[in-house]
Amino acid sequence: MIKVEHLSKIYGSTTAIEDVDFSVEKGEILGFLGPNGAGKTTTMRILSGYIPATAGTAKIAGYDVHEQSLEVRRNIGYLPETPPLYPDMTVEGFLQFVARIKGVAGGERHSRVNWSMERCQLQDKRKVLIRKLSKGYKQRVGIAQAIVHDPPVIILDEPTVGLDPKQIIEVRNLIKSLAGEHTILLSTHILPEVSMTCDRVTIINGGKVVATDTPDNLMSHLTAKGGYEIEIEGDIFSLEPMLKNLPGISQLEINSNSQTKRHVLLLTTDSHQEIGKDIAALIVNQGLDLYEMKRTRATLEDVFLNVITEESSSEAQLEEALETSEIE
Amino acid sequence: MILTNLTAIFRKEFQSYFTSPFGYIVAAVFWLIGGFFFSAILEEILQTLSFLEQSGQLSTPVDVPGQFIDSFFGVIISLLLVLLPALSMGLYSEERKRGTLELLATSPVTNWVVAVGKLLGVLAFFIVLMIPFWIYEIIIFSNASPPINLNIILLSHGSLILISTAILSLGMFISSLTDSGILAYILTFILILFLWIMDVIAANLQEPFKTVLSYLSLFDRYTDLVKGVLDISSLVLFASYILLGIFLTAQSIEALRFQRS
Repeated sequence: MIKVEHLSKIYGSTTAIEDVDFSVEKGEILGFLGPNGAGKTTTMRILSGYIPATAGTAKIAGYDVHEQSLEVRRNIGYLPETPPLYPDMTVEGFLQFVARIKGVAGGERHSRVNWSMERCQLQDKRKVLIRKLSKGYKQRVGIAQAIVHDPPVIILDEPTVGLDPKQIIEVRNLIKSLAGEHTILLSTHILPEVSMTCDRVTIINGGKVVATDTPDNLMSHLTAKGGYEIEIEGDIFSLEPMLKNLPGISQLEINSNSQTKRHVLLLTTDSHQEIGKDIAALIVNQGLDLYEMKRTRATLEDVFLNVITEESSSEAQLEEALETSEIE
Repeated sequence: MILTNLTAIFRKEFQSYFTSPFGYIVAAVFWLIGGFFFSAILEEILQTLSFLEQSGQLSTPVDVPGQFIDSFFGVIISLLLVLLPALSMGLYSEERKRGTLELLATSPVTNWVVAVGKLLGVLAFFIVLMIPFWIYEIIIFSNASPPINLNIILLSHGSLILISTAILSLGMFISSLTDSGILAYILTFILILFLWIMDVIAANLQEPFKTVLSYLSLFDRYTDLVKGVLDISSLVLFASYILLGIFLTAQSIEALRFQRS
């Protein structure tokens, strides 16, 4: 339903997105995940026909977003970052207006407006002026205007931002219930949201697509890199190099508390090998007191951080090398 | 389809003046000041006439409605200089500020339809503002003797609506350039002021600028029409200004798509 190929957008001298590729199948929910400023909104704005791309093509329901803009606009429902609402209109009046400009036929208009209000649980607010609504309700009106004309494709830019936890759950359920009949593309920088609502995730950073997969696959890809969290007391000066030399350990982070002389070690391992007993033995042999030791698993958050840091690490290494050579 | 969109935009725009205090404030101020001038001008004409009559200098019947229309329409147009930018300032700047332009731009509606719908909406509100004055005139002139020349009255009102539409159309374009309503107001005001003194500027210029500029003067044409001089070229000029405003608006909204960052 959505097919994006080599999409780029350049503003003056800054590149907002570069060579973005992804596709969304009919009835699927694709999560668009990335930090702020990664290019999520830019991509969505291009898809909605709000801004043109510098290069590349994007097709929605078979129509090119630039060449057949009006056809595309008829086939999408779009919720921008800030819900586009007229504060002096009532909820029902606003949805009637949107239904009209989206081309809903006169006979169906009433039932479509009612349907969208029902889906977004807005029935008891239908006569309320939009400016008097709370943020959560405004967001729901924003979603209602995106679905009022029953578009095959729904694009939601940060649909749960600024909502309280209860509202977030409601909105997520609403989005999930819309899938199947509708193809949904939603963006977020909140990680759990993706694993809870989306069938697939596209991670975007610095304007480039870094990974596309199901949330489960992305996580299992990284859970190979498990780790341990260990709390010990004593002098860790000699322990540190020994731990680092232990096979299978890729990273060591130490958080020390100078008052209690306790240290929390965060170890990352890069294999499935069980090295817990080796670590424990090492600590005890060094005469340190072991208080706690537990396995840690990667969350989607780690996947995300990992994927986006991997991408920039080569550049960072280069910079680091340059810096040290300058000092010398 | 286009008609549905057009009426949707028109209705939304027209209703927006009634759902916020702004529309009522503008109407109240306009009716208060306009009403004051209406009665003041009428009173002055009648007083002059009764003075002339008493001193025996009045030999032929005087066209009171004609005189009145002449003065009143001169005053009301200067009132509109202040009023019209206030009506047009929010047309697009508000949409830009609230982000609702994104809704319009991603709906299956062309920029032209939006611009025309908006212009019709603000025009309809302007006509609502004029209605009380029509009622006053009907009351006063309905038993004038000799009977009034209806054509002149209609022509005056028609030209007032035309020049206002032209100004609103240009004001709409200016409103599409900024997301600040105040800035749109000031710029529109300056533009009208420029159009206003255009014939004065023209008088001080060399040929051929003199002819060109005086031909383009909206207010000259308006004064002619109010006096009853119906000239097709005047109507063409008004229509050109209106279309220019709509065209520039549609273009500026289209250009916005390429500028957004």
